[in-house]
Amino acid sequence: MAKKTFSKILKDFWYGKPHTAEEGGRRLGELHEDKTHLYKHREWRGVPDTMYYFYNIWLYNYIFMVKDIMVMHGPITFAKGLWRYRWIGQTYLPVLHWFDRGLEGMRGEAMKASAWHYRAMVSTTIRQFQHMFAADTRLNGGRQNDLYRHTIAHNETVWGGVFYPWDGEITNVPLEMIPYFVTCHVNSHTVLNYIDAVQSIGLPGDPCPMCQAEAGIFVLDDVPDYAPAVITCNEACDASVSTSTLQDWFFDKPLFSLPMPMLFDDPLVKDYVKREIEELWKFIEQQYGIPFSWEKLTKKLELQNELQRFEWEKWEVDAKTPYYPINGVAQALYRIYQSQYGDWEIWHVTDRKVRKILEKCVSKKIKTFPQTRHRVIAWSCAPLYYSNWCTWAYNCWGLNVVINMDSLMFDMEIRTDSYEHTLEDMAQYHMWAPMRRMAVGGMHHMFELWDYMKRFNCDMVAMYDQLQCKGVQGLHGLFEDEFRKRDIKAFWIPHALPDSRTVSRAEIRRLINDYMSTVMHEEPLDPSLLDFDDSMTW
Amino acid sequence: MNTIFKFIRKLFRIALIANVALFVVFFFDLDGKLLFNVVEPFLKKHYDSMERKDTLKAPYDMDKYPKYDFNS
Amino acid sequence: MKDLKHLIFFENLLQEANNELVQKAKKDGLRAIGYTCYFMPEVLLDLPGCFSVRLRAPRCTSPDIATYYMSARVCHYARSLMERALEGGFNFLDAQMATETCTATCRFQEHLQQKHLDSVDDMRIIDNDDFFCEFSDVPFKNNEISYEHYATQLRAHVLKPLQEHFGIDISDEAIRRAVEQQNEVSRLINEIGDYRKLENPTITGYEFHVIQLCSLVCPKYLILPYLRETAEEMKTREPDRKKEFRCKVVLAGSENDDPDFTKLVESCGARVVCDRYCYGAVESRQIIELPEGVDPVYAIAKHYLHSSNCPRFMPQDEMRARKKRIAELAGEYHADGVIIASNKFCEYWSYERVIDTVILKRDFGLPVCSIEKEYINTASGQLRTRFQAFVESVEIKKIQEGK
Repeated sequence: MAKKTFSKILKDFWYGKPHTAEEGGRRLGELHEDKTHLYKHREWRGVPDTMYYFYNIWLYNYIFMVKDIMVMHGPITFAKGLWRYRWIGQTYLPVLHWFDRGLEGMRGEAMKASAWHYRAMVSTTIRQFQHMFAADTRLNGGRQNDLYRHTIAHNETVWGGVFYPWDGEITNVPLEMIPYFVTCHVNSHTVLNYIDAVQSIGLPGDPCPMCQAEAGIFVLDDVPDYAPAVITCNEACDASVSTSTLQDWFFDKPLFSLPMPMLFDDPLVKDYVKREIEELWKFIEQQYGIPFSWEKLTKKLELQNELQRFEWEKWEVDAKTPYYPINGVAQALYRIYQSQYGDWEIWHVTDRKVRKILEKCVSKKIKTFPQTRHRVIAWSCAPLYYSNWCTWAYNCWGLNVVINMDSLMFDMEIRTDSYEHTLEDMAQYHMWAPMRRMAVGGMHHMFELWDYMKRFNCDMVAMYDQLQCKGVQGLHGLFEDEFRKRDIKAFWIPHALPDSRTVSRAEIRRLINDYMSTVMHEEPLDPSLLDFDDSMTW
Repeated sequence: MNTIFKFIRKLFRIALIANVALFVVFFFDLDGKLLFNVVEPFLKKHYDSMERKDTLKAPYDMDKYPKYDFNS
Repeated sequence: MKDLKHLIFFENLLQEANNELVQKAKKDGLRAIGYTCYFMPEVLLDLPGCFSVRLRAPRCTSPDIATYYMSARVCHYARSLMERALEGGFNFLDAQMATETCTATCRFQEHLQQKHLDSVDDMRIIDNDDFFCEFSDVPFKNNEISYEHYATQLRAHVLKPLQEHFGIDISDEAIRRAVEQQNEVSRLINEIGDYRKLENPTITGYEFHVIQLCSLVCPKYLILPYLRETAEEMKTREPDRKKEFRCKVVLAGSENDDPDFTKLVESCGARVVCDRYCYGAVESRQIIELPEGVDPVYAIAKHYLHSSNCPRFMPQDEMRARKKRIAELAGEYHADGVIIASNKFCEYWSYERVIDTVILKRDFGLPVCSIEKEYINTASGQLRTRFQAFVESVEIKKIQEGK
């Protein structure tokens, strides 16, 4: 008995405790401190994986974050920005805990590949905010320096690719990606200040909270003054259109709007979008005095196409095998960030690293999520404050979120053989942006769910229910009807996008727990994760 | 030669201590605890007490910007 | 004031979408074409052989089944339309000309579409074998490219389907005749509406709201005689000797097809002298000019984009001009203040209301009452209190300014 126990202890020490509900299995919930979700101690994943996590994820990222800051405009710029802007100080310092939450329980190749995705997002985030600070007139004694004059601001829903013709000469930095979008995932409390701020000036509480927050960062005067002009765009909803009314008032810069048609299936709209993109280019030339470059555009597009081709390879592996080494949250966030922001060197570096891991997993038939009980497709817009719910769901119930809706937009290459073809494809690409690709242009897009379920061999649906998204709410009943008719195992995840107060993380877990136990009659893989208090967590 | 060995040994000792210290910080989530309990509350207090301009006073000049229509 | 001869008749027409005049037009063999948004040019739906019906759901206070389909967190107007459609209240429609201009009504209209898809069941909400629903894309801008795009859309998704499905004459000549008819309606409505500009208006906001709505929901050729008579009647209508109002207001905001809301405002001491909201006359009753030598569809497209003050427009100059426009209307109609009313869950007007409330007061010196309302509002004590307080504050301001 003692020999057996000693042997188990040795095994657990070297490999980490197994992911099982049985006696001696890991109990990740017991590592959490009450309310804060800080760790009594970080998970012991076995010697190799713990050492990897310590050296190659935790220490590596701390060192490289410092390096990124040093290389990109320096620590003084960073310190100034940190002191001035809430969204940096309150959010980005605990970024390694964001890694912890997303990679909780992960081992082996899945842990490694997913972590590279996180690293790429961190580096791009640092690059953007350092650039904002370095160009910010508020942090530079009111001066509009050279960097300011070569930066362009834009809504995060403007695809970065439209600025490719000025690569190296004008830098595009989205207004809200760093102050708002990424903060929701890293520290969900920051955005609440902005939502409250915009409501304090009279906006009702029901519009999409993403759009509320995008306006709220201006209300609180928390947007750097880093560019002489701004480009706006609609997203998939009315609020995204209206947000720019408030943004224009507070930002008060020359503004060019590049709204996208909703009915993007109609071939007639493409010509319109092509001409609007050309108008945008003329605006940029006029504002910055730098001419459009066809060579730069095609070069960047070809690099972007490389990223898209690799993404398709990943989907092939994801759809057809159990060897895909990216977890649900890393897949979703990396894809949306990379494709919306546009081509950048770090994405290629990351993809090369991930490719090696992917090929290893496929060739050696490494089951990256061995406790998968259900292959889940996550549909509609995800809760930003709990994007790592899928990590918890895998650990607790064996629900492997293999693909999500937002990963599937921008699903095309862009031809570079002629100006006409390029412009045509760019028009289509821009119309296919996050949310737009599925949420508008006809409800049949939302119901592409069935095709993707089949394609990715999913047997379960996690249906996000963004309570303040009028577009998706408008189809709620039809989805209920279709789930019943098709006998699809589906559970709803109600949420308010970045606002964690409306539906708490605990409530989301409770709903999934209820579904898995009362409908699916399953037992959890890790009972310690069923019920815990993380009400104060980042 | 001895000096080199002594130097390498010293370096090794420093590296070992640093590794152990860092590992302790990592394993017991001391970085998270410091940020959550000390740094973030301090910064939040600073942000909450910052003087901010009243954005509702921001000017809204009706005729400040032209129509950006390059096709007309 | 002496009652208008046809007011009760007009009020009765507004009780049902399939009202007496709609039924008569259907009996005459015309096709009923529904729409919800100003960006669907009603003039193109009034071509010979068909007539436009701007959809309303009068007296719909609890859209329960629609709430199942569309959830409780979506505009009550869109849900009410859905409820009325599910009840069979729109079965008289032969077509719905839809626009993806506002999310909620767009979803409602998508439910109406016969889908012919494997991915989702066809609900067949409109029980009419001839029925079809067609969407047009509407630009967010008011520029040359947009006029051309919009014209292309109208030809492809409005005119062509009308011709193919119902044999409607879509020639330039037919369009010009429809424009003439529309312009006559507009002239009459404007003529009636101009009496609101008088020092002591000889028409109430409520009466005007009823008349304007009738012109939107009834076949034009059948409502015209009544409009002509009403315009004639207005020439000799005397105002009340004692003014029944304490201030004049512009009513601006989102969708508003409920005349009882205007009545509620006016019962609190205000006179609504201008209607700058969806379903209002400010935009929909501007005269459509068809210059010689210009393609009429292009001219119509340009007109509808040019005349709209919808908060959907995104260009900077247009966003800013909208506020100025409300201030200009206040001047034109001699209004003392502005009531901005947005429908609950209307995102466009929620944001627009925020900025209007500040800018109109701060930069134009106009008192503003900013409220959120439901689709049907008669019993709202809260709104009554808000309006009463607003009227008092405007009165006090006028006294202080020596007016």
